[in-house]
Amino acid sequence: MKLPFLLLAGLAASKVAGQVDTTLYNSLQIEEVVVREEAAGLSVDSKSVTLNLNISRTELKKAACCNLSESFETNPSIDVSFTDAVTGTKQIQLFGLAGKYAQIQVEMTPLVRGLLANSGLSFIPGTWVQSIQLTKGIGAVNNGPESMTGQINVEILKPEDLVDAAESPGSEGRGDVLLNGYANQGGRFEFNEAYGLRLNDHWMVASLGHFSGRQQATDVNGDGFMDNPLGYQVNGMLRARYFGQNGWEGLYTFHALEDVKEGGQWAGSGAFPLGIETTDLWRSKMKQGRLAFTSKMGWVNPDHPDQSVGTILQLYSHTMNGFMGVDQPSNSPTDLQGIQNGLMAQFLFRQGWGNWAQTSALLFSRDLYSILLSAPSLSGLYDWGEQNVGLSTEWTWNPNPSFTGVFGARYDYNSVASHQFSPRMHLRWAPIEGHTLRVVAGRGFRNALPLTEEWGRFASNRQVRFAPNSIYSGWVWGGTTDSREIALNAGMSYSWNFIWNYMPGSLQMDAHSTQFGQTVVQDYYTPGQRYMYPQFGSLTGSTSPMSSNTLGAAMTYQLNKRTEMRLAYRFQDLRTIYRDETGVIAQNVTLPTPFVPKHRWMAHGSYEFKGGWTVDGTLQRYGEQPVPGMDPAGYPAVEMAPAFNLLSGQIRKAWTGGDVYLGVENGLNVMQANPIDGAVDPVTGAALLPTHPIFQTQFDATRIWGPIFGRMVYLGTNLVL
Amino acid sequence: MLLVALPTLGFGQKKVEITFQTDGVCGMCEKRIEKALLDLDGVWTADWNQETHATFVVYNPKKVSEMDLYKAVAGVGHDTPKVKAKDEDYAKVHACCKYRDEEVNAAHHGG
Repeated sequence: MKLPFLLLAGLAASKVAGQVDTTLYNSLQIEEVVVREEAAGLSVDSKSVTLNLNISRTELKKAACCNLSESFETNPSIDVSFTDAVTGTKQIQLFGLAGKYAQIQVEMTPLVRGLLANSGLSFIPGTWVQSIQLTKGIGAVNNGPESMTGQINVEILKPEDLVDAAESPGSEGRGDVLLNGYANQGGRFEFNEAYGLRLNDHWMVASLGHFSGRQQATDVNGDGFMDNPLGYQVNGMLRARYFGQNGWEGLYTFHALEDVKEGGQWAGSGAFPLGIETTDLWRSKMKQGRLAFTSKMGWVNPDHPDQSVGTILQLYSHTMNGFMGVDQPSNSPTDLQGIQNGLMAQFLFRQGWGNWAQTSALLFSRDLYSILLSAPSLSGLYDWGEQNVGLSTEWTWNPNPSFTGVFGARYDYNSVASHQFSPRMHLRWAPIEGHTLRVVAGRGFRNALPLTEEWGRFASNRQVRFAPNSIYSGWVWGGTTDSREIALNAGMSYSWNFIWNYMPGSLQMDAHSTQFGQTVVQDYYTPGQRYMYPQFGSLTGSTSPMSSNTLGAAMTYQLNKRTEMRLAYRFQDLRTIYRDETGVIAQNVTLPTPFVPKHRWMAHGSYEFKGGWTVDGTLQRYGEQPVPGMDPAGYPAVEMAPAFNLLSGQIRKAWTGGDVYLGVENGLNVMQANPIDGAVDPVTGAALLPTHPIFQTQFDATRIWGPIFGRMVYLGTNLVL
Repeated sequence: MLLVALPTLGFGQKKVEITFQTDGVCGMCEKRIEKALLDLDGVWTADWNQETHATFVVYNPKKVSEMDLYKAVAGVGHDTPKVKAKDEDYAKVHACCKYRDEEVNAAHHGG
């Protein structure tokens, strides 16, 4: 086969829509897939019915650091941004919509959901990741109802990945122990470990470990606030893999972590007078924990490989304890105690007959939430349970190699969102080799937890309110039909894989639209206030109170054997119907969704020298973006934040036993001026105490549209033993 | 098999296509052969086919000669039509790549 086609052919091996269990199918086809993944860091599967981007370990190494939320920084489809200037939480956007509207899963079990919707992405260290599959456009029905913009599935290193690497010919036994160390100029450090061991013909085990933290505070801009929170994360995973006889296999995973972050004003910053105690300052704390056990078992009929069954069982417990404000009762700080205990069980069945295949699933999940929140303008204890019973079926029709149609539907009875029916369709047509057209349409829903999933937005003296003047006067805590969010997604795309001058390249164009029939709006357009309220058709007179329409184009080309380049552009138009709460009667008003630039550009290049040296660089441009304004006179207070560029780069030296990398983030040293409103005196520039009137009326760390920390140099190493 | 029928254009470099047979058996051989060729300055692209043993190379004859290609491949232990690998180079290839061994060959083709 010719070199460029390896990529396409190899990926063809991955299943069209067999979601019984990715690991099941991967294991059947592991040789085909693994070899090819080395070829390209970022590749589009031309045979897949959905617009899938596979992100390999090679590509992940180009990301500066460290966990999942940061691993999309060289990806043209996903944006990464801070939620606020104090908690250090990063969230992603797909089609300009928050990551919570994509179904983000670890090996087909939910990750960014419930309490983890706030920062679940930071709970998967990047060095544990084997690959990421990003689907643009609504995902397969059997994976759950919550995919609205797309789906991100993360495959973590499995025992066989490590053991096979060490047992493969020519590896000299290397590959079953992976070590990683990282440190950056901002005081962040990280250690990661992966170890795989074969016990016998049937069993393999693996351990994955992670310890990271930051012990040294910085305040580069002199506003009295730490640039990044201090804290640590201890994270571990134990995995056992069973390959039995007669087509049986199992994967059992235990995951535990604790994550602690403390930020806010810093007595040692030098910005405050001597004698100021930490208890006089505005502080932010968050402690999160997760315990989870996952069992996946699958059986492929050895006589009929088209027939397979799988079960997934997951039990988990998440805790989220947060604090924001001045730690004195008289100052009524914001305090959160959140617990989510849950289980999910899924049974999948796949059967193929010639041109047809069906996959059906029965899903049961139960979550018990307990959220105790006290904030200056609201407080309460809310306990509720959420049960979901879902039945889904998906039919794949593949009459010839150039056409695939997938027709699916799911019905869920959800105790919070009530009865939900979600039909979905995916079509792929490749009339000419190398040219692929795709169409996607479907419906999804989720239940919002507007207070916990936007925790970072409490870093503000805005008054949190549930829309006092509206027709609607309920409180959207979560756990009621008012907190559900429902969207329709439709899109089409064209991909062209070409060879020019003997070298492979690709061109992709896509248009996607996501229309919310119901959503929970977070409204920051009234200065000094933060409103939260549900919006839906009968209240707004519109079928779509929130919408995202995007157009994207991306090109990749391998200029020669050593040089790869990528160019991408995206246009995003996001609108929300808000309620003007300033009058006696609430009025509907359509405004741009904040923190989403209309234009995004990206250029990426990498060059491979002889002798294991590689360099890569990424330049990204964020166009102007709407942000909530501060002018107390005006509603709606919409301001435009300026456009800016981010440059990052890395140089890496690899050898058989590992690599060393040195890189820079934000190489142009771009910083948002005054990321925290009300932190300093506008005249003298002196840092203000929380008791100061300016701080009390204006403090707001949530108007974050650009980088907080300037240029950041980092150094890391991977060892393969 | 030769999917590359595109005109040799671009970047002002003269390029010549050549296809020759190289002995080898497996994916590891493929990597080794292709790497040896790609490491040469003047080689634009190289691909070895495990089934047919055809080695397809595009190169710039001003920078690298046809004989250099054979030498590079032989230098990592694989026989080519014009240059055979020296015994000491052949000795360095992994046990599963011993293409001169009938048993190894049979194992790869039988499976």
